[in-house]
Amino acid sequence: MSDVTDDAKLLSDAENSPTTAPETPEPLKPQVTRTLWGDAWYRLRRNKLALVALTWLLIVIVAAVTADLWVIPLYGPPNYINTQTAAADRLEPPSIHHPMGTDDLGRDVFSRVVYGARISLTVGVAAVLVSVVIGLLLGALSGYYGKFVDTTIMRIADIFLAFPYILFAILLLSVLPPSERGMFPVIVTIGVLGWPSIARVFRSSILSVKEADYVEAGRAVGASDARLMARHILPNAVAPIIVYATMSIGGAILTEAALSFLGLGVQADPVKAPNAVSWGRMISDGQNYLMSNPGLIVWPGLAILTTVLAFTLLGDGVRDALDVKMKD
Amino acid sequence: MAEHKLLEVTDLRMHFFTRDGVVKAVDGVSYDLDRGETLGVVGESGSGKSVSAMTLMRLIPMPPGKIVGGEAMFRGNSLLTMSDRDMRDIRGNEIAMIFQDPMTSLNPVYRIGKQLGEPLRLHKGMNKKQAQERAVELLDLVGIPHASSRVKDYPHQFSGGMRQRVMIAMALANDPDILIADEPTTALDVTIQAQIIELMEELQQRTGAAIIMITHDLGVVADMADRILVMYAGRAVEYGTVDEVFYRPMHPYTWGLMDSLPRHDMTEKGELCPIKGQPPSLIHVPAGCSFHPRCPYAKERCRIEEPPLRAVEGSHLAACHFAGDSDFSRDELECAGVSA
Repeated sequence: MSDVTDDAKLLSDAENSPTTAPETPEPLKPQVTRTLWGDAWYRLRRNKLALVALTWLLIVIVAAVTADLWVIPLYGPPNYINTQTAAADRLEPPSIHHPMGTDDLGRDVFSRVVYGARISLTVGVAAVLVSVVIGLLLGALSGYYGKFVDTTIMRIADIFLAFPYILFAILLLSVLPPSERGMFPVIVTIGVLGWPSIARVFRSSILSVKEADYVEAGRAVGASDARLMARHILPNAVAPIIVYATMSIGGAILTEAALSFLGLGVQADPVKAPNAVSWGRMISDGQNYLMSNPGLIVWPGLAILTTVLAFTLLGDGVRDALDVKMKD
Repeated sequence: MAEHKLLEVTDLRMHFFTRDGVVKAVDGVSYDLDRGETLGVVGESGSGKSVSAMTLMRLIPMPPGKIVGGEAMFRGNSLLTMSDRDMRDIRGNEIAMIFQDPMTSLNPVYRIGKQLGEPLRLHKGMNKKQAQERAVELLDLVGIPHASSRVKDYPHQFSGGMRQRVMIAMALANDPDILIADEPTTALDVTIQAQIIELMEELQQRTGAAIIMITHDLGVVADMADRILVMYAGRAVEYGTVDEVFYRPMHPYTWGLMDSLPRHDMTEKGELCPIKGQPPSLIHVPAGCSFHPRCPYAKERCRIEEPPLRAVEGSHLAACHFAGDSDFSRDELECAGVSA
């Protein structure tokens, strides 16, 4: 026994810390035991582009969340129309009082852009969550059970993918009267339309993990099917979903903007949602003033562009960070 | 009632039913195993060594696999017909397994200690803390230094040799009666191989586990095994004690395996004599003796009649028509029939 131990000690010492003499009596200080997620975070932080994207998103999120505290006192509520002065204030160029100018009704564009982030982010994240929940569930069933279950679920997914996405969304939303078009139906619509891709990605991921040696090894120590699924398959199959979901948020934001542009997005409601503003709606409203005040389109456009881009870049970064093979 | 053997496998047949035909991966294999004994199963890739062992653990997906015949009795209970529940209670508890590739056999998302504790929590009903403590002992037992801090590491922080030690620790966690080692050293480099073999022997002495050692490396089983089963094309072609098989091999296939091994007593110009040809497709196993197309000694009879595995000398069995004949012997000098 002893010589095996010694051999192993030599080996492991040599592997872990070439500078430490093999005789070192005290235990090796394990070089900051990092978890897989810790490793991933470490790699993400070294990806400059992803870091910029993350920072930008944090700024947008913080601004949107705290908007009531500083935007309203400084620039007024996003949907506030001062009927006395509206005629004079309309279509103003950027100034100290209105950093992004005012729109055709004299509303502060900056205030509207910041509040618009609330809807875009909420719809984006929540819709993707809906997709992920449905997609994970169906993808897992499909990948794990295979055969009939797999065929059925995947054919339904194919049907969903065969629908013209935006037309289908328009159809679903136009059934509701404008007064009912809050955030909830938009989220559900985008979420329900998004599940097939997630289910597919997850299914293939499960199919490959299912064959992994450690799953077999788990079975060989007597783990049940349920345990194998919960402990060995799911945790290893979920990484691609995190990446895909991050990127999908951008797509969902775009869809929401498109629906709003078409007048089917989230509607402001004096009682239920007095501060509801949608970037897509802003662009739609602003298109009539393209020549006189292009800012009405440029600012919300930039907001959409940077936010969506940030989610895509972040998704890219997360993918690289979660890929263990791309070590440093 | 007579006491049962620890493990008795009789005429085991595991076939795979595929679109291309029936793959007879294991086609009539028999052996038995006593407590503390080591059985070496040798053969080329695709000879059915692994499948026969996996069948015992019922780890072969069915379908496409199907046990078409035979029996495997573990302490008098049939491994092949017991319920899934009972089988799970045996896996990792009474019969444990070590896999070929330690690099992929550990789940990358869990710490070593947690994985090592899995068989303990599954079978011994230990809680997290107890399992963790026992994991440290086990890690120490298999010669991993600083076990108490290493249990908190993740698999990617371990080298291949160390991971295989972890796999061994995991397999031995519940003091199994039988340890199935499926080419445990194939994926490791040679110096580590020797350490792992040594470790397994040592732990066997300590725990009294019987070992089924699957390998294509005759050198590995020569040291370790008490008995050897040579497999070819899903069948047992020779079975006997280490001494019998190594000093008086009787089947031309075993001769071929030995001639293809480098030996230190080889003459300078001595060349390795690989066995000519490829192992047969297990869908279309040659008629007669399945080895006849590659056998330099094959005669007309070999093409027609399948040789049964028969006792040639006491407990030494061989499946060759001519084994034991006084005028049937191995050509020592040249690479018989191979150099052509």
